[in-house]
Amino acid sequence: MSAMPRVITAAAFLCALATGAQAEPLRIPVLVPITGFLALEGTSQKNGAELALRGSGVDFDVDDTATSPEIAVNAFERALTSGRNREDVVAVVAPMLGTQMLALVPLADEFAVPMVTVSGTARITELGSPNVFRFFPGDVVVKAAHARYAVEELGAKRPAVIFQTTAYGQSGRAELDRNLTALGHPAVIAEGLDVSVKDMLPVLSKVRDSGADALLLHLHSGPTALVVRQARAMGLNIPIIAGSAMHQPETAALLEPSELAGVCAESGASPISETNPDMLAFADAYRAAFDREPDAFALGQYDGVRMLLAAIRSGAKSSADVREYLSTQRYQGLAMTYASDGKGNMAHSAVILCYAGDSRVPAIVKRYENLTGVL
Amino acid sequence: MLGAQLALNAVALGAAYALVAIGFVLVLNATTAVNFAHGESVVAGGFAAVALAMLVPAGSAIPGIILLPGVLVLTALLGLAIAALAYLPIRNRPPVSVFVTTIAFGIIVTNGLNAAFGAAPRTAPALLGTGTIEFLGVTASRQSLAIIATAALLIGALAFVLQRTQLGRQFRACAQDPEMARALGIRLTRITLLAFALGTAFAGAAGLLLAHQFFVTPSDGAGLILKAYIAVVIGGWGSLRGAALGAMLIAFFEVGVASVSSQPLAEGLLYVAVLLVLLVRPDGIFGEPQRLRA
Repeated sequence: MSAMPRVITAAAFLCALATGAQAEPLRIPVLVPITGFLALEGTSQKNGAELALRGSGVDFDVDDTATSPEIAVNAFERALTSGRNREDVVAVVAPMLGTQMLALVPLADEFAVPMVTVSGTARITELGSPNVFRFFPGDVVVKAAHARYAVEELGAKRPAVIFQTTAYGQSGRAELDRNLTALGHPAVIAEGLDVSVKDMLPVLSKVRDSGADALLLHLHSGPTALVVRQARAMGLNIPIIAGSAMHQPETAALLEPSELAGVCAESGASPISETNPDMLAFADAYRAAFDREPDAFALGQYDGVRMLLAAIRSGAKSSADVREYLSTQRYQGLAMTYASDGKGNMAHSAVILCYAGDSRVPAIVKRYENLTGVL
Repeated sequence: MLGAQLALNAVALGAAYALVAIGFVLVLNATTAVNFAHGESVVAGGFAAVALAMLVPAGSAIPGIILLPGVLVLTALLGLAIAALAYLPIRNRPPVSVFVTTIAFGIIVTNGLNAAFGAAPRTAPALLGTGTIEFLGVTASRQSLAIIATAALLIGALAFVLQRTQLGRQFRACAQDPEMARALGIRLTRITLLAFALGTAFAGAAGLLLAHQFFVTPSDGAGLILKAYIAVVIGGWGSLRGAALGAMLIAFFEVGVASVSSQPLAEGLLYVAVLLVLLVRPDGIFGEPQRLRA
């Protein structure tokens, strides 16, 4: 689909909203972590939601959930109960931090409000809640692509894994272990790292001593860049297949292009690598609005909110209508086709991207479509 | 040769941590108060270097060592602001008040940096260039060597000031007995302001040293204040050489012990070591000059 029909559709939608406006416009509060250790990814989430909502005729306020569950719970309750009519809130953009999502699920069920998020934590869609909708491929999807690319495409037989000791890291490590074992090549070494660790030489020397022939990372942005830099500095030149943090332009910006040679990453998408007109239009609009490069978190949240707006456009007037739409409809977003697997997992595809060593813009080298078989 | 490389890395990291811990103790000795904004001061130093480097025309790389005086001045000013806003107005209140005000100040710094620079990790210029030097089979990073040299220079200069100058004697007098120092005519407020300026400048220097090799993000402060606190507890509450030794011990666990066990185990063993030190020497390795534990 070219950009023009989308623009026309959006314009028609805006006109419809303007002419048929109720006394109180519908609301979609945006609750995201824009300070604290997840601020980089959370800001992308906010920007994606904001870009989709700007000019949509739907009211939205952005509230920072920082990094504690208590702040997220307070923000959620404030968004639902303060001032305006609660019935105007048809959905909430919910934080990508897994621990916050786990605290918010009971509240969302109590208020019967659907939450749209890009959190990767596997457990949030395993609680039986009908109100969680994840627009970023969870670990079940991306770690399958991660392990398969290392083994099937790069021929890794002795993979090493370095993961973060946070809930995020543990979740990804478990899926990597499961997939690597299923592929017949379990990790020869798996090392956990706290986010505050500065010197990576100890863990990298153990990877080298293990005889590993590929290094799989599941780390946040800064530690990912540190590992890549120190691995190259110590001459550890085995292929590195990183987690989604490596696809973020901010992570690549920390490294010289030469240090990125031979480095790949899994992700739900890579907006800066795509060349189709819709994606280029999205990337241009994002840069113009926020003066930074878009990443997969921004795109996933953008697609999620666009699906919410599609629900409203199709006649949804309440949170129950929106939940029904998200649960049953298929939506063609910019990154992929979304549909619920019955648990709220909407994204089922992943990409692998690699850096050539001459720029900080990766190329998509492999697409893994519909890994869950839902579509 | 891996052992030598690990040792070098540990000393470089410990040297930067030592600057953080010594800066923490300087304020502690002058005020008996714990400055919980100290971690954010390290982060501010890193971002000051990033900002100063941005002033240089694009394409022309500037060595980090050239930025050091600017970072020291900017973070010294930040220290004066912490003193003026978070300490002096409430210095006669219980210590917990200072905890709260400095924590609040730190949060403001974090969020201010987040607003100004964004949440992404940033990197500051290398002190004296990048790359490695081969010596007797050991591959040494230029940055690690520069960190060790710069930290040694700064700590040496501080030792000279404290031991050989009238200002240093005033510092030490205030640390040992502030009331007697005041009775002898030493202006406590002036010494307090100088301590905040100097301590925060040391933190800022550490921020510059760490920000190239290990990057800097606005939210790094909490981990750094914890390291400084542990270093001071191990070394002896209020002891400058104890703080430096404690910092080196932390780096030894982070690099050396982690290389033969695992990083989470090394972290656990560090805390076991802290408990053992406190069990055997409750005042820390070098005693507790102030006899006041916050």
